[in-house]
Amino acid sequence: MKLHHPRSIDEAVSLLGKDGEARCLAGGATLVAMMNADLLAPSGLVSLRDVETLKGISIEADGTAVIGAMTNHVTIAEATEFDSGQSVVARAAAVIGHPAIRNMGTIGGAIAHADSAADYPAALLAADAVICVAGADGAREIPAGDFFVDYLETALEEGELVTSVRIPAAPAGSVAAYEKFARVEGDFATVSVAVMLQENDGAIDDIRLAVGACAPVPIRSPDAEQILRRDGVSDTSIAAACEHLAALADPVDDFRGSGGYRLKLIPVLVARAIEAARNGGAA
Amino acid sequence: MKIEETFSVNAPVDRVWEFMMDPDRMAPCVPGCSDVEVLGENKYRANVKVAVGPIKTSFKVSVELTEQNAPTYAASVTRGEEGGKASMLTANSELRLTSVNSDETEVYYLSEVSLVGRLGKFGLGMMKKKAKAIGEEFAESFRIQIETPGQ
Repeated sequence: MKLHHPRSIDEAVSLLGKDGEARCLAGGATLVAMMNADLLAPSGLVSLRDVETLKGISIEADGTAVIGAMTNHVTIAEATEFDSGQSVVARAAAVIGHPAIRNMGTIGGAIAHADSAADYPAALLAADAVICVAGADGAREIPAGDFFVDYLETALEEGELVTSVRIPAAPAGSVAAYEKFARVEGDFATVSVAVMLQENDGAIDDIRLAVGACAPVPIRSPDAEQILRRDGVSDTSIAAACEHLAALADPVDDFRGSGGYRLKLIPVLVARAIEAARNGGAA
Repeated sequence: MKIEETFSVNAPVDRVWEFMMDPDRMAPCVPGCSDVEVLGENKYRANVKVAVGPIKTSFKVSVELTEQNAPTYAASVTRGEEGGKASMLTANSELRLTSVNSDETEVYYLSEVSLVGRLGKFGLGMMKKKAKAIGEEFAESFRIQIETPGQ
């Protein structure tokens, strides 16, 4: 197995193009663990460690946050650059695994792996993020809703890598929260909910709600969001909204919980997430 | 893990039974299945490739029919292994065919699958969903094959 250290995105793309079985190595938190577990045996590793352009967080003139693929979870969690709505992504990063994992893992590696119980997918979907990708045919942008395709499957084509994640500026007055239920702290979510909302005098102007770990990909329901926008927040409206989310869910039965239990958790976590956002979801 | 599926096909029960007992006609309906060999009476061998995202596997499986009650019931034992015994699977399966009417048959199968090795330690919840997806793909291929005239 050959280990490469390209210094640019173009060099990385070229190396991937030469060996169809080679894989990108980002933080190694997932890839190396999978190699140790004999789940993957790539013929080559294209380490992105030395590609400086993939690192860091910047804010564009219009308020769009751009996170380089090689930015690690702890940097994202502690970043002060995000606005209150964009902070949903930082809140998700803050609860990934435990500190050693957050030091090692990167957003690019995490989303390219696309574990259905991971934390970024729901947060990125709620934030209307766009994933920037580079390959032999050039660069392209994929909305989060189209990027996550199935268990461990994304819209990345062969030879493509994630270069950055773009999060649009949130509407003024947005607050956000990320609520994660796991049986053991540091584990993957049994169910998680990401919310971004704007309130005016107690009425919900706009709300975005994404549920993680309940389907092969994170889920959002425009019907659920419309109910909360129209009827405000109450036990009844949350229950009605969550029926739409449950209809889109297809949760697994596993050691983290049964499918039925996960469905029961959805409205509980949605209520908690909305309350957390309202009570202190400013960045 | 338990895999259970029911689906209907527009064909009489005898034809469905005949089709299912013919490995040359069944194998193309099983996603990723190739190199089918008849080892003896009621014994078959094949290769089955499955992928979950980037994780690719190739199993050598052998299937033995342990019980038959034509045209409505069959039981079988399946054993499979990945190269180098990286994983091994055993499955005890049952197939039940019920005649709905002269042109329609309900197919029911139940499989108790146990998986040990590298794949047995990884994401069983997701694997169960994957197995269900493969089952649905099989049902669809099977339906197309058996409902096409001249098959």
